[in-house]
Amino acid sequence: MADREQVRHLEGMAVEMRRNLLRLALSFDGPVHLGGDMSMTELLIALYHYGMNVDPADIRAAERDRFILSKGHGAVGMYIAMALRGFYEFDDILATYGQFGSAYGMHPCRTQLPALESSTGSLGHGLPIAVGLAFAARQRKQTHRVFTLIGDGESCEGSIWEAANTAGSYGLGNLVGVVDFNKQLMTNLNGNTMNLEPFADKWRAFRWNTIEVDGHDMAAICDVLDNLPPADGNRPTMIVAHTIKGKGVSFMERSIAWHANNLNQEFFDIAMAEIDAAAAKLEGAVA
Amino acid sequence: MSTAVMNSPAKNVVKLGDKAAGRGVMDQVLVDLGTENEDVWTVCADMSTYLGSFRKAFPDRYIDVGIAEQTSVGIAAGLALEGAIPFVAGMAPFISMRSLEQVRSDVCYQDLPVKFVAWYGGLTTGGGSTHNAMEDIALMKQLVNMDVVSVGDPNMVGALMRASMDHPHPLYIRFGVGKGDPCLYDPETISVEIGKGILAREGSDATILAHGDLVFEALRAAEALAETGVNARVVDMYSIKPLDKELLLRCVEETGHIVVVEDHLTFGGLASSIADALMDERVMPRSFRRLGVPQIYSGFGSPQVNWAQYGYDRGGIVAAVIEMLG
Ligand SMILES: Cc1ncc(C[n+]2csc(CCOP(=O)(O)OP(=O)(O)O)c2C)c(N)n1
Repeated sequence: MADREQVRHLEGMAVEMRRNLLRLALSFDGPVHLGGDMSMTELLIALYHYGMNVDPADIRAAERDRFILSKGHGAVGMYIAMALRGFYEFDDILATYGQFGSAYGMHPCRTQLPALESSTGSLGHGLPIAVGLAFAARQRKQTHRVFTLIGDGESCEGSIWEAANTAGSYGLGNLVGVVDFNKQLMTNLNGNTMNLEPFADKWRAFRWNTIEVDGHDMAAICDVLDNLPPADGNRPTMIVAHTIKGKGVSFMERSIAWHANNLNQEFFDIAMAEIDAAAAKLEGAVA
Repeated sequence: MSTAVMNSPAKNVVKLGDKAAGRGVMDQVLVDLGTENEDVWTVCADMSTYLGSFRKAFPDRYIDVGIAEQTSVGIAAGLALEGAIPFVAGMAPFISMRSLEQVRSDVCYQDLPVKFVAWYGGLTTGGGSTHNAMEDIALMKQLVNMDVVSVGDPNMVGALMRASMDHPHPLYIRFGVGKGDPCLYDPETISVEIGKGILAREGSDATILAHGDLVFEALRAAEALAETGVNARVVDMYSIKPLDKELLLRCVEETGHIVVVEDHLTFGGLASSIADALMDERVMPRSFRRLGVPQIYSGFGSPQVNWAQYGYDRGGIVAAVIEMLG
């Protein structure tokens, strides 16, 4: 179980991840998917720094937990969470991101970047791939879990539900999905055109063990990860994480414009001040 | 064949290199077409911000299905079966690859007049290989009943959408980023017709045939070549299927040397169509070069950097022409 101190440490990591997101977006001359990166910050930190059994020193360990970023446009968020865990150097990411020949770009590329389990970027692909990894692990009697993080907008793709049906039917207990339910797609809010609700019930209907959580509450996320059903059980788990797109920066929150955008110095300063203020408040609460 | 004179929103004379937004033109022309013809619909998969004007003007003829490209095409087929003229607007990789079977079996098989307006053709997204559309022309031109155009001039996106209204078959209209694209022509000076190419620059030493964004690179290359005394002709082969064979054969006859440049795999796109046509006509150019994406999944980076890396930007074109003229 995560004690208070551990949770506090993870929250600090989340602050640092948001800062690095801003730093990278400022230095890169092009759009960065800040909205969805900020909404999954706590989730990625909790997975890479608490919930998943991964080791930067042994990236091919046979029974490491696997992670696939199904919402591949969140690659920057994943690189940064992994860098904080020791997989990569943030300075390398900062120096080369998005350039020809760099391993770090808008969508994760496994053939260029070690420690990734799969390339992604076209939506609706990661969950089916994760189902494949889960089948392989089960047949080989391996004990690790397969985690995948999907977008709610991404869940409009039929392939998500085809994979959901397969995992539910075959009872892949070693599969854990997390959905970043930020109620926004790229160009619309959920409910504006498409309506995903009742979202959690959809997963239940597909025979998934479905848990809802506040995706910005670190203690709550840790609690869910602590209480996952055994990997050799017969139901996949879906963690429906309620989040806010752009979380932590007022002008990015719930804004269509910040799905992906260029960050200039002026907006960077405002955003960083807000993150700093929230961090100071966190410090105060602990002290 | 349908012709349309280009209808530019700008009053001023458009010069080579002026910037315009193909996606903005698309949205505006959709509104015009929707006003003129109440059977015009627009269907997209989470691309609403690029279709704001049409959506506002005709909310009851606008469908955004969320991120579900296959379904967007299936729905367009359904609409067309009821007599509608649907435009499916979206990113080239996902229209051409994700919904390929729907495009083929729902639309092309039934020869329905569904129009696909696809941006981010070639290596223009900067997003890496999941987002590059370097096979789309090969996939689309292979489909029976489908015609394929690839547009470099942003205003021509609109002209071809207009032309498509008299074209009762599936049509794939491809362009690049669709934002800040260089203009190629003053709209008053050219006419656009599915099945025709445009002689964009006269020349007698060699012909550079290009489509899409690479027409601009080819024109710049021809300027640079002129400074070295080489007179290169540039042809905008925006109509890849049907192909303007007459113009092609004329270029071979008059210039002998042929360079094909495209932001696409070098096999399967325009170069392959041209090679097929020349073989069928038993015409052998003095030399033949294809410039484009080799058999590789390219990395990240801007379109220009990618084009240069694989030798098909203006510099690469210049080098190829000089080399072939020996
Ligand atoms: C198949 C496919 N279609 C379209 C896109 C373009 N796209 C990138 S992100 C995005 C929206 C994703 O929304 P969501 O899954 O909710 O992610 P989040 O809001 O967390 O960023 C879209 C449409 C894509 N990457 N893949």
